[in-house]
Amino acid sequence: MELRDILGKPPTVVLKADMTALDAITAMVENKVRSVLIDRDDAQDAYGIITTRDIINDVIAHGLEPAQVRLRDVCSKPLVVANNLDIDLRWVAKKMANEGVARLAVFEGGDLKCIVSDVDILKAVAEELKGEGGKGSGRGKK
Amino acid sequence: MTEMDRTLRSMVKDFKMPSIDANATVKEAIIRMTDKEDYALLVPRQDPHDAYGIVTKRDIVYKVIAEAKDPGKVKVKDIMSKPLVILTSLDLDVRWVAKAMADSGVSIIAVFDKGDFYGFVTSTCIIEAIYYSEKRIKLDDQANYVSC
Repeated sequence: MELRDILGKPPTVVLKADMTALDAITAMVENKVRSVLIDRDDAQDAYGIITTRDIINDVIAHGLEPAQVRLRDVCSKPLVVANNLDIDLRWVAKKMANEGVARLAVFEGGDLKCIVSDVDILKAVAEELKGEGGKGSGRGKK
Repeated sequence: MTEMDRTLRSMVKDFKMPSIDANATVKEAIIRMTDKEDYALLVPRQDPHDAYGIVTKRDIVYKVIAEAKDPGKVKVKDIMSKPLVILTSLDLDVRWVAKAMADSGVSIIAVFDKGDFYGFVTSTCIIEAIYYSEKRIKLDDQANYVSC
């Protein structure tokens, strides 16, 4: 299976870099997501991302007040990017392992298409495994 | 009332973590995780001298899929983390729970109270605890608008 098979929708929860970690926490809990995209300031700027892990490691563990911390100071930026949609899922997973992340930003022709996560990979692999185990020789395509 | 309870005690969830046998294959682990949307599975100990282990989505993606290994052949025991990262003081402030997670690079910690298993605390528990305590402070600040 390839990266293009697990693409999702563009991220809907997007915050500005000068908002606070508390805004990110609120967005995470209220939207039931574990990461929030940080928008670019202008066309020369890079996108960032903030995850529950960033908030725990860089805000809470340091004893900082989430309401006092700007997202631009704690977000991961620039994103770890994948732009070859034909790449095998194995290499998508390897890229995550190499970078120590659980999410990759997928760009196509300069546009942010979506964020793929380790859960997306796991679900795709699960489908494949069920396909080959459950129905005798009825192997899933690809 | 301004002092919020931000201790470990207030955050621990006494949920039953789904478990999987150490000798099960990663394939079984993947299917169990995705079916129930529980991306961490506890690996019970074999005897009282053994330690508990844990296998997470990260272990599977990093150690099996990224290395193109066959999930049907790799055993859970080959990729799990063991023993668990543990905290034993329920009065610990959220800050130190977060620090323990950051230092050990995990997002789930098992909590024991006087030698007995008490529950788990996850990164999501911490985020939610902060969210609700901040929300409570806000409500307290505008207490006259709150009717309940």
